[in-house]
Amino acid sequence: MIRRTALAYALATGALALLTVFAFALGRFPISALELAQLVANKLFGAAYDIAPSAETVVLQVRGPRILAALLVGAALAAAGTAYQGMFRNPLVSPDILGVSAGAALGAVLGIFFSQSALVIQLGAFAGGLAAVGLVYAVGSNVRRHDPILSLILAGIVLGTLLGAMIALLKYLADPYNQLPAITYWLLGSLAAVSPGDLALAAPFALAGLVPLYLLRWRMNLLSLSDDEARALGVPVARLRIAVVCAATLMTAAAVAISGIIGWVGLLIPHAARMLIGPEFSRLLPLSMVLGAAFLLAVDTLARTVAPIEIPPGVLTALIGTPFFLWLFVTARRAWQ
Amino acid sequence: MAMRVEARQLGYGYPGRPVGRDLELELGAGEVLCVLGPNGGGKTTLFRTLLGLLAAQAGEVRLEGQPLEALARSEVARRVGYVPQGHVAQFAFTVRDVVLMGRTAHVGLFAAPGATDREAAERAIAALGIGELAERVVTELSGGERQLTMIARALAQGARALVLDEPTASLDFGNQVRVLREIRRLAAEGYAVVFSSHDPSQAFLAASRVLLLARGGALRQGTPAEVITADNLRQVYGVEVRVAPLEGTNVCLPVL
Amino acid sequence: MTRAVLAALLLAAAPALAQREMLDAAGRYVVVPAKVERVYAAGPPASILVYAINPDKLLGWTRALRADEAAFFPDKYARLPELGRLTGRGNTANVEVLLKARPDLVVDVGATAAVFASLADRVQHQTGVPYLLLDGRFEAIPDTLRALGHALGDAAAAERLAEYCERALREVAARVAQVPPEKRPRAYYGRGPQGLQTALGGSINAQVMEFLGARNVAGAARGGLAVVSLEQVLAWDPEVIFTNDPNFYEHVWRDARWGALAAVRAKRVHLAPHLPFGWFDFPPGPNRIIGLYWAGKILYPELFPEDLRAKTAEFYKLFHHRAPSAAQLDQLLGEPGVLPR
Repeated sequence: MIRRTALAYALATGALALLTVFAFALGRFPISALELAQLVANKLFGAAYDIAPSAETVVLQVRGPRILAALLVGAALAAAGTAYQGMFRNPLVSPDILGVSAGAALGAVLGIFFSQSALVIQLGAFAGGLAAVGLVYAVGSNVRRHDPILSLILAGIVLGTLLGAMIALLKYLADPYNQLPAITYWLLGSLAAVSPGDLALAAPFALAGLVPLYLLRWRMNLLSLSDDEARALGVPVARLRIAVVCAATLMTAAAVAISGIIGWVGLLIPHAARMLIGPEFSRLLPLSMVLGAAFLLAVDTLARTVAPIEIPPGVLTALIGTPFFLWLFVTARRAWQ
Repeated sequence: MAMRVEARQLGYGYPGRPVGRDLELELGAGEVLCVLGPNGGGKTTLFRTLLGLLAAQAGEVRLEGQPLEALARSEVARRVGYVPQGHVAQFAFTVRDVVLMGRTAHVGLFAAPGATDREAAERAIAALGIGELAERVVTELSGGERQLTMIARALAQGARALVLDEPTASLDFGNQVRVLREIRRLAAEGYAVVFSSHDPSQAFLAASRVLLLARGGALRQGTPAEVITADNLRQVYGVEVRVAPLEGTNVCLPVL
Repeated sequence: MTRAVLAALLLAAAPALAQREMLDAAGRYVVVPAKVERVYAAGPPASILVYAINPDKLLGWTRALRADEAAFFPDKYARLPELGRLTGRGNTANVEVLLKARPDLVVDVGATAAVFASLADRVQHQTGVPYLLLDGRFEAIPDTLRALGHALGDAAAAERLAEYCERALREVAARVAQVPPEKRPRAYYGRGPQGLQTALGGSINAQVMEFLGARNVAGAARGGLAVVSLEQVLAWDPEVIFTNDPNFYEHVWRDARWGALAAVRAKRVHLAPHLPFGWFDFPPGPNRIIGLYWAGKILYPELFPEDLRAKTAEFYKLFHHRAPSAAQLDQLLGEPGVLPR
C-alpha cells in the first residue's frame, strides 16, 4: 500500500514536470528548443545569450502566466471537487454543486452586459461566486427539518437554476453584435487572456483556499462518517463543513474568475485519483491536485497549439477526460463502493 | 482517575418528545451494562444522550465525576468511545485508516496522526486480534470483522468507557460470539462497557448489570438475574419466555 | 367589338394590376403591393437601408436608439418606436407586434440561405404581409438598394444612393488595385474587452479590411468569429490593429505583452467609430462604406488623401438625412485612436 502510494505520486509528479516543460516549449509562436534553453540559462544561471525580445515576452509573459494559471486552476478545481465528493459522500458532486460557477458566471455576464473592463468582469465573477455560495449556505442551514447535507445540495441546485435563468435573460437582452459574442466566449471558458496581473490577483485567493484545505486533509476523512460518529470522535462537524465550503468556494471562485467555466476537471479527476490511491483524504488530496494540474495543463496546451484559433478547454476536458476515465473505471481494482 | 459513567435523574428525548425520565445510572471500570428494550424504546436516544450527542432534557451525565456539559467534544472523545449501530461501509478505507481516525481527539487541528497515534492504533488492532486485516479494505470485510474494526477505533481513542449500539445486530452466529467475547475481555481489562441488545441471553453471557427500557419510559435496573424474568419480559415485549439456569449462568428462551 | 370592350376594361383595370411581382435575393417570388407606405424592417441592416431611401416609410427601429445615437438623426425619426428584430441572433420580435404595426411590406437584408428563405415564407404565410429578403453582402449593396427602391416606389432616391455606393466601391477598389501585394499591410481585428476575438477569413467582420486588400492575419482559417491567444497574435505580428472595444483600446497601451507587438509600438492601433452605426463590421449594412474610407486612410494614407470630415458629412447627409455638426464630427473622428496620431 505504501509502495503503491509512492508509485502513484512519483508517476503523477513526473508527468506534471514533463508536461510543464513541454508546455513551455510548445506554442503558436515559433521558438526553437535552443532558444528556450538559452533563455532558461539566462534567467536561472545568469548567462548572457542574445534572445529576441519577442521570444522572451512570449515565454515569460504569455506562456508563463498561462501555464501557471492552468496549474493553479486545475489543482484548485480538483481539490474542490475532491473535498466536496468526500463531504457530501457522493461521487457525482462537482465544485459547482453549491452554485459558485453559476454565481461567477452571472457576475461576469453582468460586467460584460454593462461594457466594463476585463478587470471589473473578473472581480464581478469572483464576487458573484462568493455571493452565490453565501446565499446557498444561508438558505440551506436555515432549513432545520432536513439532513443538512441534503439541504445544501437542494439549495445549491435551486439557486444554480435561478442564476442560470438570469444569465439566459441577460443573453437575450444583450446587444447581439457586441455583448453577446463576448458573453458566449466567456461562458465557454478559456485561459487565453490570462495576464500576469490576473494571476497576481487570483493566486492569493486560490491559495487562501488551497492551503487550509491541504492542512485539513487528514481531518477531512472524518466528514465521510455519519455526523454522530464524527462528533463522538471529537470533530466539530458543522464548523469543519463551513471551513471546507469556504476554502473550496474561495478556490473555485478565483479559478472561474480568470478562466471562465471549465467543467469536468472537478468531477473526473477526484475519481481518477481515488481509483489510483483510495479515498483516504490525506493521501488523496495531494494526488488529486497534481493530477488536476497536469490534466488541465495538458488540455490547455492542446487548446492553444492545435489550431490558430482557440478550442474551448471545457470541450477538450470532456472529450479527453471521458474516455480516459472510462478506461480507468474498467481497469481499476478498487472502486468507490 | 478510574472511569465512571454516571447518570443522575437523567431525562432524555428530543425537543418536544421526551423518551425517558429519572434515570439513575452508575457504571464503573470492569462493569458491563446491557440495555434491553423493544425497537423505539429509546435505546439509541439514551446512548446519544450519554455520549453528549443529544442534550439531556433533565438531570445530568457525568464522566469521571465531571459533568458532560462542561467537557469539550475532544475531551469527551478521549473518555468515551462510540461504536454505532449497523455501520455500512461506504468508503474503501483500510482497517488501519479507520482505526487511526479514532485518534482525532489527540491530533491537532491542522496536523496528521504522528508516531504516538500510529502506535496507539496498532495496539488497538492487536488487542482485537485483527492484525492480519490491517491492510484490508473495510468494504471487503465481513460484518463481524467490520464491527471489530469499529471497536478497535473506539479503543484507539484512548477511551476507558465504550458505548456499543447493538453490536451484534446482523452478524452471523460466529461473529456474534466473537464480539461478545471481546466485550467480556475488555471488561476484564478494566473498561466500562455499555451495550444494547435484542437478545436477553446475551445479557446473561456478557453483562454484570441490565437496564430494561420499555416504551413510555418505564425502567428496570439490576443484575441480569433480577431484571430478566418472565414477568418483566412479558410486560416489555409482550411475549412468553422461560428463564432457566445452565452451567452456572442463565439462559432465556422464548415459549413459542 | 367585344375585343375593343375587353381591351378597354383591361386598361381601366391597369392601375390595380400595378401590383408587382418581384424576385427577391433568395429566389422567392414576392407580390409587392402597388403602394408601399409602411415598411417593417426585420433587422438592423434593413432598417438602415429603408431609412436611407425613404425615412417616412420606416415604421420603427429594431432596437430603440440610445441618446448618443439618436443625436445623429432628425428628431421625428430618432423617436420611431422599437419593434424588435425578426431574424439573426437575438430574435426579439413578436409576430403580433408585426401585425399591430400594419406594415405593407416586411424587408429583410442579410443572408439569403435556405433557412432564412423558409423563415421568410413562414412569416409571410402567418401574417399575410409580403416579406422581401434581400442580399446583405457588401458587393451587393448597390443592387439591393435598387431592388428596395423599386419595391418602395422610390426608385430615384434609391438610385442616388446606389450610385454613390457603386462609385465608392469602384473608387476604393481601383485605388487598392494599385498596391502591390507586399505593400498591403497585415492587419488584425481584435474585438471584445481583451481584444482576442477576431474575424476569420471571409467573415462579415473582416469584409472592410479584406476589401481594402489588407492581409487579415487570421485569414487563413475561413469562418466567422473566433478566439485566439495572445501568443498567436504575437506570432502573426500584424502591422495594424483595428478594434471595436474602447476598453481594449485603453488596455492595449498599458499591457507590456501587447507592447511587444510592432503595431503597438508604432501606435498603429485604431478604434472604429461607432455612432450611430458601427463603421467596421456590425451592423453589416451600408454604414461600412464610410468605414472603407476611414480604414483606407489608416492603411494607405497617400491613397486616401480626402478630408475625412467632409466625406463623413457627405455620407451622413445622404444616408442619415442629417449632416453632422462640427461637434459631432469631433466626437466621431476625434475620439482617441480613431485617426492616426
